[in-house]
Amino acid sequence: MSLHRPSAAVPDETLVRRFLDGSEPAFRALHDRHTPRLRMLVRRLLGRHQHELDDAVQETWIAASRGAHAYRGDAAFATWLAAIAVRITLKRLPRLRRDDGELSDDIPSPSDGGPATVIDLERALAALPAHQRVVVVLHDVEGYTHDEIAEQLGIAVGTSKATLSRARHALRRALTEGVTNAT
Amino acid sequence: MRPDNDIPIPDYDAELRALFDALPHDAPTDPGAAERLVVRLRHEGLLVRHRSVIASISSVIPSAARDLQFRWPVGIAAVLLLVALGAWGGWTAGRRGSLEEMLTRNDLTVGDRVLLLQRAGSAYVTAAQSYANATARTDTTAIEVASRVLLGAAHAVARNHLDAGIAEQLTTVLQQSATRSRPTVWF
Repeated sequence: MSLHRPSAAVPDETLVRRFLDGSEPAFRALHDRHTPRLRMLVRRLLGRHQHELDDAVQETWIAASRGAHAYRGDAAFATWLAAIAVRITLKRLPRLRRDDGELSDDIPSPSDGGPATVIDLERALAALPAHQRVVVVLHDVEGYTHDEIAEQLGIAVGTSKATLSRARHALRRALTEGVTNAT
Repeated sequence: MRPDNDIPIPDYDAELRALFDALPHDAPTDPGAAERLVVRLRHEGLLVRHRSVIASISSVIPSAARDLQFRWPVGIAAVLLLVALGAWGGWTAGRRGSLEEMLTRNDLTVGDRVLLLQRAGSAYVTAAQSYANATARTDTTAIEVASRVLLGAAHAVARNHLDAGIAEQLTTVLQQSATRSRPTVWF
């Protein structure tokens, strides 16, 4: 490891301050530390629009870099970065507001007729309508509360809950019916 | 209308919950992504190159000095050190080859000593000219100093037989001129 590379023990807040001073090693440390999780979040939010993944992640980092002076350390840097990623990714989902909440017709069934696997769940999530997928990913995968989701997406708390309810029904039906059909 | 808290949300069964818990949270990163971002951020002025120079300097000193509170003092000290080294190097380079430095050297070749003699003579002529220009041409002090130096040089040349007899005649003339002028106080 390079002498110039900050160690993993350096807190995010310190790295952000160094980055604001123009430190490239500090930026690289932040990038190395947070990109894997950021990339997975954006990948899940995009669903089938995976061709947008690289651009969305890069745009997230650029937006975070430009706005780093506004980061006060009130929330974890990962949370702050994820909020930017969600906002940018939503802009790249043009059909988000028009989806009616119905599950896509071509949602995949569990592979090989056996019990559902993580891969099946990933495919089922990707096939959900965008607004349902975003709520499920933020709530059930990332652990956001409905208040946080409502604030992040600019919707009512009740809308977040209703959307999650429909999404869970859809997911369970898709995965269960797949198993049932196979047996 | 039902309050938000009353919206029924079906929970997952144990199998589906386990699948959610098993979902990975990290994705492989693009190896070139960081480089592209660094280039972009440098272009926007958010990353500056000279920081890496300071970081390089601070990397050779104890790690405590690399902490944030020591970074600026270390940078300033490094800059002052570089300025001092540059000034010393410039002064040394400028002094090397000067008339005064050449006169103290004993490793010169015969050709070098001939050139040194020429430079010293030229320096004498230039100094006399500039002294005369800076003062009135009737300045008796200038005349006295120039004459004494010239006389001393003539004696030296004559003593060492470098003049083919010319200095002897010149010394005689200047000696007569010097005895008529008032003495110079040397200091």
